[in-house]
Amino acid sequence: MLMHEVLVVGGGLAGLMAALKAAEKADVAVLSKVYPTRSHSGAAQGGFNAALGEDDSIEAHIFDTVKGGDYLGDQDAIEVLCSEGPEVIMELERMGVPWTRTPEGKVAQRSLGGAGFPRACFAADFSGHVVLHTLYEQVLRRRVKIYPEWYLIDLLVEGGQVAGVLAYDFPRGRLEVIRTKVVVLATGGCGRAFAKTTNAHANTGDGMAIAYRAGAILSDMEFVQFHPTTLYGTNILISEAARGEGGYLRNAYGERFMAHYAPQKMELAPRDVVSRAIFKEIKEGRGVAGRYVHLDLTHLGEAKIAERLPQVRDLAMRYAGVDPAREPVPIEPAQHYSMGGVRTDVWGMTNLPGLLAAGEVANVSVHGANRLGGNSLLETVVFGRRAGWKAAELARQEPWPSLTSSTLKRALATWDALLDAGGEEGQGRNGDSAFAIRREMTTLMTEQVGVFRTGSELEDAVRKLAQLRDRYQRLKPPGGSRPFNYALMDYLEVGYLLDLCEIIAKGALRRTESRGAHYRLDYPRRDDQNWLCHTFVRRGEKGPEFSNGPVKITRYAPQERGY
Amino acid sequence: MRVTLKVSRFDPAKDRQPYLQEFVVEVGEKQTVLDALLHAWEVDPTLSFRRSCRSAICGSCAVSINGRPALACQTLVGSAVAEGGVITLEPLPHFRRLKDLVVDLEPFFASLQAVLPWVVTREDHDGLMDPEVARKLEGPATCILCGVCDAAIEVAGEVKPAALVKGLRLALDPRDALGAARLQLMKVPPEILRLFVRELTQKCPKGIKIAFGEGES
Repeated sequence: MLMHEVLVVGGGLAGLMAALKAAEKADVAVLSKVYPTRSHSGAAQGGFNAALGEDDSIEAHIFDTVKGGDYLGDQDAIEVLCSEGPEVIMELERMGVPWTRTPEGKVAQRSLGGAGFPRACFAADFSGHVVLHTLYEQVLRRRVKIYPEWYLIDLLVEGGQVAGVLAYDFPRGRLEVIRTKVVVLATGGCGRAFAKTTNAHANTGDGMAIAYRAGAILSDMEFVQFHPTTLYGTNILISEAARGEGGYLRNAYGERFMAHYAPQKMELAPRDVVSRAIFKEIKEGRGVAGRYVHLDLTHLGEAKIAERLPQVRDLAMRYAGVDPAREPVPIEPAQHYSMGGVRTDVWGMTNLPGLLAAGEVANVSVHGANRLGGNSLLETVVFGRRAGWKAAELARQEPWPSLTSSTLKRALATWDALLDAGGEEGQGRNGDSAFAIRREMTTLMTEQVGVFRTGSELEDAVRKLAQLRDRYQRLKPPGGSRPFNYALMDYLEVGYLLDLCEIIAKGALRRTESRGAHYRLDYPRRDDQNWLCHTFVRRGEKGPEFSNGPVKITRYAPQERGY
Repeated sequence: MRVTLKVSRFDPAKDRQPYLQEFVVEVGEKQTVLDALLHAWEVDPTLSFRRSCRSAICGSCAVSINGRPALACQTLVGSAVAEGGVITLEPLPHFRRLKDLVVDLEPFFASLQAVLPWVVTREDHDGLMDPEVARKLEGPATCILCGVCDAAIEVAGEVKPAALVKGLRLALDPRDALGAARLQLMKVPPEILRLFVRELTQKCPKGIKIAFGEGES
């Protein structure tokens, strides 16, 4: 049996930061579904918010974040996020991050949506990528043990305390037990619940679903961010930096339509506002070819695009056949980020002793009902760092938790039952398959649990998701002992996503108001009387059990949100 | 368009030698080879290949496409179809195959260790960097560690291409205390490095340009 005092699950920014900090004082390993440098943090383009500028202030960053999140964020957590931003950027600088620089040699900053100042520290439009690789370098320096392409299968909980994990060694097709004192979840989001998403194939919410099944509280899962500018058709991300550098959004008539929706911030209004505006334009017949709108960068000039947005240009040319220096880029909104996740405090602690979480998998909550561009990268390093510190502290204080054979046997039996279920291998009745179920589930989520929601469509979605779950339960999973069995991975992922889709759809149905990214056509107003609260959900015997949790409001009382 | 994929299959548990399996899939010419592979996977779910970001930033899907190492997600079907609408997919050459298109990446990631692959920050570093110097780091810092250069470029010596890219990126970093010793770690004479850097730009999926030896004779 393998043993590590701290096991970090996930090798993206939050996971590697947590591992580095924990490794200063404890025995740490990183278990990751993909090689760490393949993590989706690397696809983040825009930047890391931190109030470094002389005119900017931590106070302003806090307020922008509170308002951007439509007052659902916990203000004590937001204060931590914004206060620790500047020092963590300088720590990354010393580690070797190749930031873009100002003429004076300082870390350069650009404007992103919903911010009062140019606040996002960046490296061209490869900001997530360069920090991911720098943290990976540091992990190599510290010789942190990595289990690449190992999957978390189950949390082993003994008397309410996490005592280890069941992991699946994908390259060898073998189940392994790893005993731990602390597990730090940093498994990212669940974008693949939606047909139209910027997210990587790997982003299937595994950590959220596994924590939920083990008894952790998830919160605010109905708040899903739809990024305004993804390439029409493929939904590959075109960074908000494109608008931060001065790009315009235009409808079929060439009009900068954001003037009607956010006259002050225009294209740099928060993402929920911009995504709704785009869909409204299309719906009311002002979309280009009736289907999309244009992101116009042509006025920026070739030199600026080459210097600041080289990846954006390359992506648009390759995947849309359009050179943004010469023609406008066809774009549409698509799922991008989950504001919700495993509920934690400001140290990453969840309601399960021994389980911590940081990054997109977690809900601290700093983003509230809508995340601002540049705040998720900051969140990964700020709260990854804190979770790492806390994990090391717990590892030093706590004795090894007991792990009895009955707990182990129960977990193994669950795994065996899962693999023995159903009919023909990889198939259900009438040739049904995990592929078919995934396709229907993700299409349903994009069409009925997307940017605009209604009670009747959500009710219908909940019903259809239950039918999909019935079909899923009749599938026989493809053999668990084969190496690189991607069909098994697919089967497991669809199971996780079905759990999360149910929670997202039911949470959206339950919340009869519009706030941030959650927009109900039948309840178009924010309702602070009844809904200035978090949505908590725990797994009950008959499915998810919902309740409301208090929002921490310290300095900023809710106001009308205008841009 | 209708495309025939010939995919190299090999399962060490049951196959004595590799064989090509044919899939006929319907894909748009502006779709990618990765899209075509995902269609093939639905036909035969036992097919193994790595993928994740599908936008050429994670480096997972490096394979040999019609004999040339490349990223499947970055190669458009239209540009990959050879005569007769066929695309042949094999694992990266010079890597040990584990199953189908999946190769052993452990030696690849371990090869980075040869160049001390991290910035050894100088004690007196003040947090500032000349923007022109910073710009020179950008090229090699876009390396996604996909492995294509190791598969496509022969370099005499024990330090492999991706490790050389990392070494050169660190050698350009004014924060680094090792300075000139970086080049010694790479154990490759400067004239060979210059040739390598030129070939890299041609063969790297990110087209990485490294400012090495510019202005030197």
